[in-house]
Amino acid sequence: MRFLVRTAGRPRSRAPVRMFIAFAALALAGWAVQRVREGGLVPAEVEAYYLGVPGGAPLGSAALWEEVHVGAFVQGFTLFVLGSVLVVSPIPDRVRRALLVTAAAAALCDLLAPFAVVGLGGWGAIRVATFVAAALSSATLLAVVAVRFGSEVGGARPG
Amino acid sequence: MHAPVDPRIARHRVPALTFAVFLLLIAASAAVVFALELGATPARMAAHYRGGGFAPAKTLDGLLLVAVPHLVAMPLVLFAASHVVGWARAVSRRGFRALLALSFGGAALSIACPFLIRFVAPAAAWLHVAGFAGLEAALLAWATLLCAVFVPWRAAVRALPGDRPLPPAEATLAARVPSRARPGT
Repeated sequence: MRFLVRTAGRPRSRAPVRMFIAFAALALAGWAVQRVREGGLVPAEVEAYYLGVPGGAPLGSAALWEEVHVGAFVQGFTLFVLGSVLVVSPIPDRVRRALLVTAAAAALCDLLAPFAVVGLGGWGAIRVATFVAAALSSATLLAVVAVRFGSEVGGARPG
Repeated sequence: MHAPVDPRIARHRVPALTFAVFLLLIAASAAVVFALELGATPARMAAHYRGGGFAPAKTLDGLLLVAVPHLVAMPLVLFAASHVVGWARAVSRRGFRALLALSFGGAALSIACPFLIRFVAPAAAWLHVAGFAGLEAALLAWATLLCAVFVPWRAAVRALPGDRPLPPAEATLAARVPSRARPGT
């Protein structure tokens, strides 16, 4: 963040930030493909993953919390960095705030949705909806950051 | 007397508070996983790593599978949180150093202790509990400090002698991007 807040006059920051954006986009795409291939868009398959076979035991609490633990690190850190880059990009404050808050809220809902599926004994559609919302909002955030970071503002090139 | 609000801080409010929320989630999920998987007592923890009953002892590969991602993730998270809090000068220099020591010390113990318990002495489970408790306390402290610095009614930073003002180009950028959150606009 310190590196980013004083980007003006430091054009060297632009290349590493662009590299980070490229890798974040690849990670997001990989994550989405992985989830789709595992049945993340089919409520019945989501339910089968979390609830197990009919009559069987659902996924344990420890496994659910481990999923939250890993996701909170990856998504929290990525959103923090993207949000910090967004701050130094020429974007209206209201848009910037809406983009980041939406992506963060969707990510949190997606992380916690498995508890709803297990708790309700079904409703895999909840996780499908949170996955779609998280993927789309994160992709939008990434796209805006990629397009706007480093664009000229009044003759000053941030980064 | 209130410290002057720094627009550089105010502009980073949403990302920093978002990070604080995720820090709390990381700490909460780590505590639950720790309690569920390792057990609440050092004796159960030692049994988890060294085997007991029908449970086999953890292998070196199994321990590395957990340790390696944490060797990357923990310093990264602690670095990001401490970097922002340090930049905002939310705590005294001594307090900041103490919190850094608690954070990275707790992280180092949390990563090293499973190996110590498994291959050196089961008594290291006590050290594991202490290290994990320290790390959890530090994560809570970083999240609290981020909130203290970045919530709208507390977004203040202490300017120190020698601090440079905003560079002209960045000031131009700040002026052109409308911000209701930015004080003085």
